[in-house]
Amino acid sequence: MSLKIIICIKSVVTSAPEGRVVRTMDNCILNPFDRPAIEMALRLRETEGGTVTAVTMGPETGTIALYEALSMGVDRAVLVTDRAFAGSDTLATSKTLSAAINRLKPFDLVIFGARSSDSDTGQVGPQTAVFLDLPVITGVKEITRKGDELIVERHIDEYSEKYSLRLPGVVAVHPRAMQPRDAALSMVEKAFKKDPIEKVGLKDLGISSQGLGESGSPTRLVSMSKIKRKKKCEFINGSPEEQADELVKRIKSGGYLS
Amino acid sequence: MDFLLDEKLNIVKRSVRSFCEREIQPIARDIDHEARFPWEVVEKMGKLGYFGIQAPQELGGAGMDTVTYCIIIEEISRVCSGLGLCVTVHNSVGVYPLVAFGNDEQKKRWVTPLARGEKIGAFCLTEPNIGSDAAGVESTAIRNGDHYIVNANKVLITNGGVADICLIFTKTDPGAGHKGLSVIVVERGTPGFEIGDLEDLSGNRANPVSSIRLNDCKVPVGNLLGKEGMGMKIGLAALDTGRIGIAAQALGIAQAAMEEGIKYSKERRQFNVPICQHQSVQNMIADMATQVESARLMVYRAAAKRDRGLPFSKESAMAKLYASEVAGKVTDMALQIHGGYGYIKTYPIERFYRDARVTRIYEGTSEIHRVVIARSILDEYK
Repeated sequence: MSLKIIICIKSVVTSAPEGRVVRTMDNCILNPFDRPAIEMALRLRETEGGTVTAVTMGPETGTIALYEALSMGVDRAVLVTDRAFAGSDTLATSKTLSAAINRLKPFDLVIFGARSSDSDTGQVGPQTAVFLDLPVITGVKEITRKGDELIVERHIDEYSEKYSLRLPGVVAVHPRAMQPRDAALSMVEKAFKKDPIEKVGLKDLGISSQGLGESGSPTRLVSMSKIKRKKKCEFINGSPEEQADELVKRIKSGGYLS
Repeated sequence: MDFLLDEKLNIVKRSVRSFCEREIQPIARDIDHEARFPWEVVEKMGKLGYFGIQAPQELGGAGMDTVTYCIIIEEISRVCSGLGLCVTVHNSVGVYPLVAFGNDEQKKRWVTPLARGEKIGAFCLTEPNIGSDAAGVESTAIRNGDHYIVNANKVLITNGGVADICLIFTKTDPGAGHKGLSVIVVERGTPGFEIGDLEDLSGNRANPVSSIRLNDCKVPVGNLLGKEGMGMKIGLAALDTGRIGIAAQALGIAQAAMEEGIKYSKERRQFNVPICQHQSVQNMIADMATQVESARLMVYRAAAKRDRGLPFSKESAMAKLYASEVAGKVTDMALQIHGGYGYIKTYPIERFYRDARVTRIYEGTSEIHRVVIARSILDEYK
């Protein structure tokens, strides 16, 4: 049985935000945490067969993430975009995404990256699973198929857990799960040759704008400022051998060597 | 008119940069030092389509345009210009003439393995006595029934040491001047095909530049590219395209040198401040950035004209002339910023300085380009 996989991705801004961020085609990239998640989806498709559909919610700049996903090899790309979704926090985003995912039914597996590199919450995957009323496993390093279920390996702290996941289900992928593939040039060219990006708005989702966008967001960013860290410079004294020993000791005790 | 990179170009630039920084940068210093051709990386580049950037997709290429091509060469050269050289020469004067002038059978036979990076291409024009004056080629191909007997002594051949498919510029009619010049494709392994020792290069040392000698090589007439006497036409078309690639290579070297110069100027402290706070260093930073940016605009514009099917010979000559001279000036300034440290191999700027020099020589010297440009300008104003 082949798998119908949906991968939820995001366009993130590359520069560290200072004040309100203006998203442009130049400063947006595919969220780096989504790359291993796309890789996992593509590898599952390679072993089990099926399709991979990439979905993103956001303004026009969301197409950047979708084109990057298409360049890596996903089959289909959907941009969920509408003025009504503007200003969404993670809850409103999850609600909108779940409606967009339901529109793509039937599906077997929804995959998320661990978190986004710009807002860094890691909430959207699990919250979307709740709205979809589906089981969710986070920190996923590996997925193998066993009959109608998936065997999902999860890494947390120093431990590895194995779960069996009944489908349909949701997973969020560990940032170091796998090395994402580089886009082959011919795939980039193909991604832009056809016009493969489907746009989906509020009307297409068939839901009311209640609880969506800024008004549907219970959290609101009030301010943002850089945390200033105190820098400490210390000199190690002694003979070169003693200095080297002391340095190695500190590197070890600081947990920089595993 | 749009001077900004679009979505596709941004994606290509980022993805090639990320590959190069991950796979090539860690070995760039060593392969220069050891003068080693890194097959392990070349194989990966082949799988990603770097050896068939503009070849049609139906022949195994990526089917991209020239602007995209320039960005790819620029990014590879930013990290390792010896590999940038390998890729641009393979694509522009190896694959392109076969796509443009080859018949269907020749394209299937040669373009597909070249585009996939399974075979490496070389353009063999230069001889011990022949450089800029291509019509004077002394190699000969004498027709004998359904074969040519080819004798050639080709020198300073980029990719020579690893070349599988060689475009040999040779005289099929030795008495007919440039009208007797033809291109015959000779594959490595043909009896009489001999690769000479690798040159001990000053820069771009990862590229196996060598001589190639053909001694009474018996080559089927089916290996003739185009028709007899078309050599000059094929050569000029290939070199027009090749120049844009070398301009992009020079741009990549200049970009890398500038970045190293800026980085060092922020780290190095003299008179209690980072040297980037001294006006004389800032002048160099401003000049480097301005020159790199203007070279970039010229390279992309020449490429854009080619993509639109417009004449681009003058623009590609200007872009190559200017970008290669900028590479010389910028590597020189960036080295100067490094002071004495710039003159030792610990810092990459020493390598960039050596890499940049040859861009003013190959694919048409700066002097030849000035001739091409002046002729074209005088023609416009006649």
